[in-house]
Amino acid sequence: MELSQRDRLSELVEELTTSGQPQLNQDKMKEIKKICKVSNDCIDHVYHSVMSQLSQEHAEVRLSAFQIASELFSRSHHFRMLLVDNFQGFLELTVETDSEQPLPPPKEVARKLRSLAIQTVQSWQASYGTAYKKLALGYHFLKQVKKVDFLDAEARTVAERRREQERRRKMERIYKERVEAATKDMEGLHVEETEDNEAVVSTVIDLYRLITTKHLPAVQGWVQVFTKAGAEQQLLRRALDLKRSLEAALQKHKELHIAYKTRVRRVMKASSNSEDDDDNDEDDDFEEVPEKEGYEPHIPEHLRAEYGLDPSPSTSAASVTTKLPAKRPVAPPSQSSYCSSSSSRQLKQLKEEEQDPTCAAATLRVLRQHFPVPSASSSSSSSGPSSSHCSSEMKPVDAPVVPFGLDLYYWGQEQPSAGKIVKAASQHQFWVPIETEEEVENDELRAESSSRYISFPGSFTPVSHYCRAPLGNGKLCQRQDRLKCPFHGRIIPRDQEGRPCSQDDRLREEQEERRKMEEQPDWRDAELMRDIEAATGENLSSDRAGKKGKGKKKKKYPNLSDLKQSANTSRSRLEKKVFNKSTMRKVAQMMSKADRRKHEKFSNQFNYALN
Amino acid sequence: MLAFLTARQTGLDDPLRLRRAESTRRVLSLKLNPDRDVDRVHGNGVNTIDIEAVEGRYMLSGGADGVIVIYDLENYSGKPQYTCKAVCTVGRSSRYVHKFSVETVQWYPYDTGMFVTSSFDKTMKVWDTEMLKPAEVFEFEGNVYSHHLSPIARKHSLIAVGTKNPKIQLCDLKSGSRIHVLQGHRAEVLSVQWSPRYEHILATASADSKVKVWDVRRASGSLFTLDQHNGDKSKASSEAVHTAHNGRVNGLCFTGDGLYLLTTGTDDRMRLWNSANGENTLVNYGKVCNESRKRQQLTVSRGCSPEFVFVPCGSSVAVYALHTGELVTMLRGHYNNVDCCAFHPDYQELYSGGKDCNILAWVPVLRPVDVEEESNKGAAGQSSVNPAFQDTWSSDED
Repeated sequence: MELSQRDRLSELVEELTTSGQPQLNQDKMKEIKKICKVSNDCIDHVYHSVMSQLSQEHAEVRLSAFQIASELFSRSHHFRMLLVDNFQGFLELTVETDSEQPLPPPKEVARKLRSLAIQTVQSWQASYGTAYKKLALGYHFLKQVKKVDFLDAEARTVAERRREQERRRKMERIYKERVEAATKDMEGLHVEETEDNEAVVSTVIDLYRLITTKHLPAVQGWVQVFTKAGAEQQLLRRALDLKRSLEAALQKHKELHIAYKTRVRRVMKASSNSEDDDDNDEDDDFEEVPEKEGYEPHIPEHLRAEYGLDPSPSTSAASVTTKLPAKRPVAPPSQSSYCSSSSSRQLKQLKEEEQDPTCAAATLRVLRQHFPVPSASSSSSSSGPSSSHCSSEMKPVDAPVVPFGLDLYYWGQEQPSAGKIVKAASQHQFWVPIETEEEVENDELRAESSSRYISFPGSFTPVSHYCRAPLGNGKLCQRQDRLKCPFHGRIIPRDQEGRPCSQDDRLREEQEERRKMEEQPDWRDAELMRDIEAATGENLSSDRAGKKGKGKKKKKYPNLSDLKQSANTSRSRLEKKVFNKSTMRKVAQMMSKADRRKHEKFSNQFNYALN
Repeated sequence: MLAFLTARQTGLDDPLRLRRAESTRRVLSLKLNPDRDVDRVHGNGVNTIDIEAVEGRYMLSGGADGVIVIYDLENYSGKPQYTCKAVCTVGRSSRYVHKFSVETVQWYPYDTGMFVTSSFDKTMKVWDTEMLKPAEVFEFEGNVYSHHLSPIARKHSLIAVGTKNPKIQLCDLKSGSRIHVLQGHRAEVLSVQWSPRYEHILATASADSKVKVWDVRRASGSLFTLDQHNGDKSKASSEAVHTAHNGRVNGLCFTGDGLYLLTTGTDDRMRLWNSANGENTLVNYGKVCNESRKRQQLTVSRGCSPEFVFVPCGSSVAVYALHTGELVTMLRGHYNNVDCCAFHPDYQELYSGGKDCNILAWVPVLRPVDVEEESNKGAAGQSSVNPAFQDTWSSDED
């Protein structure tokens, strides 16, 4: 084979494989075939160059190389011999038989290559399988071991199918989660308890409790009695109807999904609302008792005394209704509702609870004793004396809310120990030093303890103006900095075209412009340079001047899709930062330093352990 | 060839010489032959194969799914094209089948009426070939990696068994019991092999990188342990003393005359040892890829000069000259790792089984028809060539 032919073949193969096209250029292919026809040496050469292109880590290169191979395979016996002899390697590079060596990116092309390869192998098997043993073996290997389904339109291998399944499962899981979240949301006809509906909600709660604890068990008992005793049908039916309606009411309550606020120590007078249609006949007022720690919705009758409750709220219901007709819940309930007739019992109960050290009330009491609650924050705390509430109501609304401090603690009095420092000269048990002045007065400290810092940060006003300096593309700078744009300096008033309004600014800007122009020599006009170069044929590095020295390397094969570009993901960018060599070194240094310090500090500890 | 024949006819040469020359020639021309196929029965990797020594006609194979198959290798059809048929199969449906992977199969050396198989289901079964039923089942505590019956023994009928337990078990076919253990290894015994020369000599290879040679009449311990450095302490690090390899030793094979022993290990080396004194002959075979965690079945040619070694090496079978260590050729045909190979001494054929479920027959390629003959035939000869072998350049590419 002549050297020129050999070179031409290599050139052709390289051109064809780096074209990046999904189909081969027929003219070039024809030329290859023409040369190959001459002798087997040429085929040897083409085979080797094709195989080397097949092992490139670029799916487009592989696809084109595979197409060349399949063109030649159907024509030359010698080529078939060569290819079949290394069929394992060929399959690894095209069908991905070795899962350790996946096909290179880009993905779509790789998928296309694989399906094309599988189809081609099948057609080869059909026409040459009997003559080339290894081809048949390879086909059977694909079919039986790799479980390639040749009829499958996508011609996927097992690994691929498994991956697909994995992905589908993952998607299903994600969808399921979403569905769950959505259903949760949808269930969500949640009624949030707010200030506005607090009273209604409270009523609902009370009624709910009433039904569950009293009415429903009672009705159930009736039904039992009626069935056991074999009472009249009429009676039993009525009882069942009652039961059903009660249950319906409960169900309705459940469907409302009311998000209750936690209720702390509060007495509510609640009367039934006419909105609850089922319970019209059992309308009565009752009283909500404060919740104790360890909430127990159902308290048996005989234990009620123990819990400090009334024997049963319903017994006195009628009388309460008559007594307190006007005490229907008003939204929002003001402090005045606390000054109710039942507050005395409430107080008694509180006292009892305070005796119990396990109650939160006891702790609160201790806290209150140590830090008397300032009036500002007392409004939200539970049960101050009712008189103080009445007085606090008179306060103007715009009084400032300040954090509690010493000055408030000693409001209106002389601070007994302000600014005094007690010096403990010695803390020895036996030795007593010479008497010294133990207390020192400090004016600064005294002033500090009786004064208070109040900072006025003011309110945030968003920036409404733009920088509006003219940009290279004709637009105006849209940055909204308060005082200074990082690109265009101090923000100054400008007109529609972005020119400064004041004369001084305009002059300054022109000066700046001139200075910039001087930095770049005017004879290095990029276009002029290019013209000169074209005329003289000498490289005066005009492109560098034009691009300010940021010359880009020309890509070797411009037609192939760039693999690095697709790799530019947020992950890769982060990786570049995190696994940066200098960063790693810095981190390693820091860690080893910390280790060393620890070691220095504790290296001798075994001494103590042993002694 | 003609010279050999005349010399043979006139009695100038020993008849053995012609035979050797022809065997060697045939081994050198081993190829994957389209005329010879082996039935595809195994649906899983083929772990082990064995060709019986009585007639050289039947081949046993054991698969990773527990299936055992017997093939008929003899071609009585008179045509070159022949597919070795599976005569009988112990398939998954059989109630006697091994539950897990079959690791070793071996014919009883004197009769094809019996064969022995061992498996990862911790059993070794002695089969009646006619009934395809186990006549005897030995059970062990651990996976059985390998077993071997002495091919020449007249005075005993012991089966040496290498299991996960470092103790080598000796099972007696006469009594059907385990009669003896050989202690000395520190890790599982991956391969055991009786010497084809002395019936009481046994070689064992273990995952503790040691190879020991035993005389089973001596209970106290092994005769010697093979040492890759031949006792040169300066070369060996302290833990590498008396080791045959720097990794698990999973292949073991005596030469046909029993004078040499070949071992392969996961350190990608193959070593040739003098089996009489355990000396490392230091033949360099280069790198012999070996990633198997189980037994690997290598084999040596017989009746050639020089002799050849066939050793699985990745997805191909490497053929080495035994004493020079020269790589003769790589037999490429499997599409996955090769686990076993067996040499047919009568026809100089090689059978290999691998993880790609195939058993491939490597058959000597007959010498091509002489040039003169072909010219006589002329055009007729051309047309007889398989059309698939012809070039099909289209005319428009001129």
